Amino acid sequence: MSQSNRLTGGLIDRSVSVNFSFNGKNMQGFQGDTLASALLANGQRLVGRSFKYHRPRGIFSAGSEEPNALVQLRKGAAQEPNTRATMAELFDGLEATSQNHRGSLERDFMALTDLFAPFLSAGFYYKTFMWPKAFWERVYEPIIRSSAGLGRLSMQPDPDVYDHGYMHCDLLIIGAGPAGLAAALAAGRSGAQVVVADEDFLPGGRLNAETYAVEDMAGADWAAQAWAELQAMDNVRCMTRTTVYGAYDHGIYGALERRTDHLAASEGRPRQVLWRVYSRRAVLSAGATERSIAFPMNDRPGVMLAGAVRTYVNRYGVAPGKRVAVFTNNDDGLRTAADLKAQGVEVTGIIDARKGESLATTWGRKGLTAVGTASGRSIEADCLAVSGGWSPNVHLTCHQRGRPDWREDIAAFVPGADLPPGMSVAGAANGAMTLAAALKEGHAAACAALGDLGLSPAAGDAPKAEDETFDIKAFWHAPGKGRAWVDLQNDVTAKDVKLARTEGYRSVELLKRYTTLGMATDQGKTSNMLGLAVLAEASGKSIPDTGTTIFRPPYSPVAMGAFAGRARGKDFRPNRLTPSHKWAEEQSATFVTTGNWLRAQWFAQAGEKGWRDSVDREVVQTRRSVGICDVTTLGKIDIQGRDAAEFLNRIYSNAFLKLPVGKVRYGLMLREDGICYDDGTTARFSENHFVMTTTTANAVLVFRRMEFARQCLWPDLDVHLISTTDAWAQFAVAGPNARALLGKVVDDLDLSNEGFPFMACAECTVCGGTPGRLFRISFSGELAFEVAVPARYGDAMIRALMQAGEEFGAIPYGTEALGVMRIEKGHAAGNELNGQTTAANLGLGMMVSKKKDSIGSKLSEREEMNRDDGLRLVGLHPVDRNDMLNAGAHFVELDDHHPDMFSDQGYMTSVAWSPELSHSIGLGFVKRGKDRIGDIVRAYDPVRGKDTKVEIVSAHHIDPEGVRQRG
Amino acid sequence: MASLTPAPPLGGYDMTFGELRLRECSELALVSLALPLGDEAAAKKAIKSSLKLDLPAPGMSAVNDTHRLIRMGPDQAMLIFADDAALAEPAVQTALKGACYTTNQTDAWVALSLAGPGVRDVLERLCPLDLHDATFPVDAAARTVMEHMGAMIVREEQDGFVLLSASSSAGSFLHAVETSIGYVT
Repeated sequence: MSQSNRLTGGLIDRSVSVNFSFNGKNMQGFQGDTLASALLANGQRLVGRSFKYHRPRGIFSAGSEEPNALVQLRKGAAQEPNTRATMAELFDGLEATSQNHRGSLERDFMALTDLFAPFLSAGFYYKTFMWPKAFWERVYEPIIRSSAGLGRLSMQPDPDVYDHGYMHCDLLIIGAGPAGLAAALAAGRSGAQVVVADEDFLPGGRLNAETYAVEDMAGADWAAQAWAELQAMDNVRCMTRTTVYGAYDHGIYGALERRTDHLAASEGRPRQVLWRVYSRRAVLSAGATERSIAFPMNDRPGVMLAGAVRTYVNRYGVAPGKRVAVFTNNDDGLRTAADLKAQGVEVTGIIDARKGESLATTWGRKGLTAVGTASGRSIEADCLAVSGGWSPNVHLTCHQRGRPDWREDIAAFVPGADLPPGMSVAGAANGAMTLAAALKEGHAAACAALGDLGLSPAAGDAPKAEDETFDIKAFWHAPGKGRAWVDLQNDVTAKDVKLARTEGYRSVELLKRYTTLGMATDQGKTSNMLGLAVLAEASGKSIPDTGTTIFRPPYSPVAMGAFAGRARGKDFRPNRLTPSHKWAEEQSATFVTTGNWLRAQWFAQAGEKGWRDSVDREVVQTRRSVGICDVTTLGKIDIQGRDAAEFLNRIYSNAFLKLPVGKVRYGLMLREDGICYDDGTTARFSENHFVMTTTTANAVLVFRRMEFARQCLWPDLDVHLISTTDAWAQFAVAGPNARALLGKVVDDLDLSNEGFPFMACAECTVCGGTPGRLFRISFSGELAFEVAVPARYGDAMIRALMQAGEEFGAIPYGTEALGVMRIEKGHAAGNELNGQTTAANLGLGMMVSKKKDSIGSKLSEREEMNRDDGLRLVGLHPVDRNDMLNAGAHFVELDDHHPDMFSDQGYMTSVAWSPELSHSIGLGFVKRGKDRIGDIVRAYDPVRGKDTKVEIVSAHHIDPEGVRQRG
Repeated sequence: MASLTPAPPLGGYDMTFGELRLRECSELALVSLALPLGDEAAAKKAIKSSLKLDLPAPGMSAVNDTHRLIRMGPDQAMLIFADDAALAEPAVQTALKGACYTTNQTDAWVALSLAGPGVRDVLERLCPLDLHDATFPVDAAARTVMEHMGAMIVREEQDGFVLLSASSSAGSFLHAVETSIGYVT
């Protein structure tokens, strides 16, 4: 079987032979073939099994609309199911296998399903597998799932890489057929920035498939010449193998470029690139898709769209059969017969529906052998070319809810008036079904778009060609005995459509979902129109009255990998590293992600058996002597301006207007609704200069809200914000020896309690002249400072601090120890600032100043938020000191036998093992919490099956008077 | 204590890929300037007299032999110049005699210079902006997002751009640019 169906001619390169295999059988084709054309050249008509009934199926089309010829390409991890053989470019070594059969393609055991077809009509499983109920999930569904379906995934990670890109143009031209080429030439010659994209690897569209002439040359030659001219223009970007799959807002289009799918290996380069195309105007010249006619047994291998037959004959030099019959309702059918005859292929009969002729059946189990006419005549044929007319590819015109209009003269939907802004439509996509008309429309659409943009089109007319005849009489469904397929991909028949209607699914949208008509990889490109027509016929309504389903992106399937692009594995998001990251790695730190930051969580030392050992040691050593923690990740915002103090006074709920220079103040921020959303400290370095810190998590949010307030709420204030989070490396130095350690590092600053008291701040130098900032603030409850230097000195700074701390046994501590110490001290953090809590809940009610207006202060006065019996932040100790507490537990009374949301007394927010107290401790919110100090309640945790007696204590588990931090 | 040695975020990275050169501009200092509300004219005058630069329109930069001044917004600009001072801002503040608010930004950003033929092919995989000559000429500047990272892009010359992004994610940013180069060259 060596290319027994290969004819002469075509746009293939016969000097380059290409070896490939199908189901392990070695075959040959030529460069320029698709897998489909090469299979047909080799006489392979049977290429797959149908979705539901496992019926033998062959190649039906020659483009992206293919419903039948879905194959698996490549092997191993690179295996890709559901690839359309009509779109797969042939390359040397291509390995393709057929899908959806058990046993061989020729002898599929599952073909038995077809015998039960009368019981398997649309929606059969909703009606059939109703009992016993438990069987659905365990028995029926798995069986149905495994017997129906398409190809199989390799279940291995995709070995290819993908990328994203951005393009900008004055004019995007979608489709490089005659209309698109005419548009591109007009726009390109004018000097506008043009992108012209076509899904095919050979631009020209139908010009490559027909025998038309343009400008007195063969259509395909003219297309090649036009493309070469466009490629030579600097202002035109010519993209083949690129599908514009979606029309989005503001002239943005999604386009998928297949860069290495036609090569044996991608060699590390992106296999596909997903482009975001920003266009000022777009011309949709996407052509039209031919549709079939529903007649009994119209699904056999060998039944093919007439336009596809011409494509195989004219473009690929392949005869889809040796004896071809034609069934048509328009002039294209006759053109097919002429093209076949010109290549010496025998045409055994023409059945023209316009003359009242029709088909009643077909024969041939694994491939067509003959067709039977309605008048009882039998015609031998191994290929039947069917043409039911053409449907303009209006898909992209509908991506923003546009609805197409019905045109009776061409029996098709054409783009409606409500196109996506900036889009115009030309050629067959617009219902201009003949060549000269398409060329003219393309040219005119480009000129109009350029005019819109204030650009002048170059002089010149549309390329010249003759209009072929195009006469059509709508004919959708030939009556007769036997199943007439409407949707080949989903095995939906005309009877299914009618049944669905009888059962009440009268809306076309419901019909689609009930029968699956128009779903899956082809999205009903060849079947939607037919299904609609059959539904209209059954309802006695017109087609426009029946309506269409809405088209949504993507136009044709896009691999998930292409959407993901590079955002995969460790590249899923950027990493932010602290200035001491490299040093922390050297100390074997374990890192935790907080947002995009990687922070040291703890620093394990030899002999430590688990994280608790490390964390306990870090806490104990910090409280006993001194510990150092990188706190660079906290948001830092530089605030300057004559009105900076007033601005802060309005942003924070507590007073800031009179914060003295050289002092730091703790501040609380409320949302407009009065709920707390962030806290932090702000230092005043001069009259008009403040530096704010925010929590790590809310750094961006706080900046954004403050910028909004500055620009939109109070544009009359002179205040300026700059994020300086990354500009400064900042380290907390905490513990009784913090002052002694810093005394060795900070130059010429009196660090005594009198000279630099609690909540002081100053600009300073460190280590003999490096500029720095020093703050005396404490999150741990210990005597503590934070020292900042420009970030590029951060690595040197941590090393200097550790060296200076050596004599004190200074240790670095991570975020876990940080957390333990703040829980011991009773400081609220993210667990407590959870988006539901008020200042009163947090025990910070006094911080919402009544003497001034600030964001959220008014709404925080609402009655429900100021109840005396509301939640208050408290500490919790287990009554049995051996019990471990869990965050998330709810508090209920000891005698509450039916705990529920009505008897709920509050909940635990944070817990830690306290090395200081040697037992588990917690923070939480308890109703009337301040009045209940000393009471015993239950921490009830049905999720974890725990019920623990806890004592309500002060949230300040250690040093409630703050002696240490002020010492 | 021994004095502290600075370490630029990418350690002074400098690589060539064919004719493309990708280099960390660790010699650059960045200082942001803010124009006081109501005193914009005085600020512009001070910029002109001390830096010999006219404040450009938003989206553009003005350049002389030593300084590039990028207009970031109505009341904001970024001054870029070679300076190895630990904090470049005080000198700028002194020169402007308090006519602008100034903030040191050197350490907040990593600056990468990407130059050579085909540089726009690399950038179109990263940068969502229209970099055609007509819309983004030499000296144009804009803030944008590249691979999920906030960034600034400045066109220094026909085939040369400076990209700025957060210093904490400098490694990820470099990786993004290197990946783009690898994918298109």
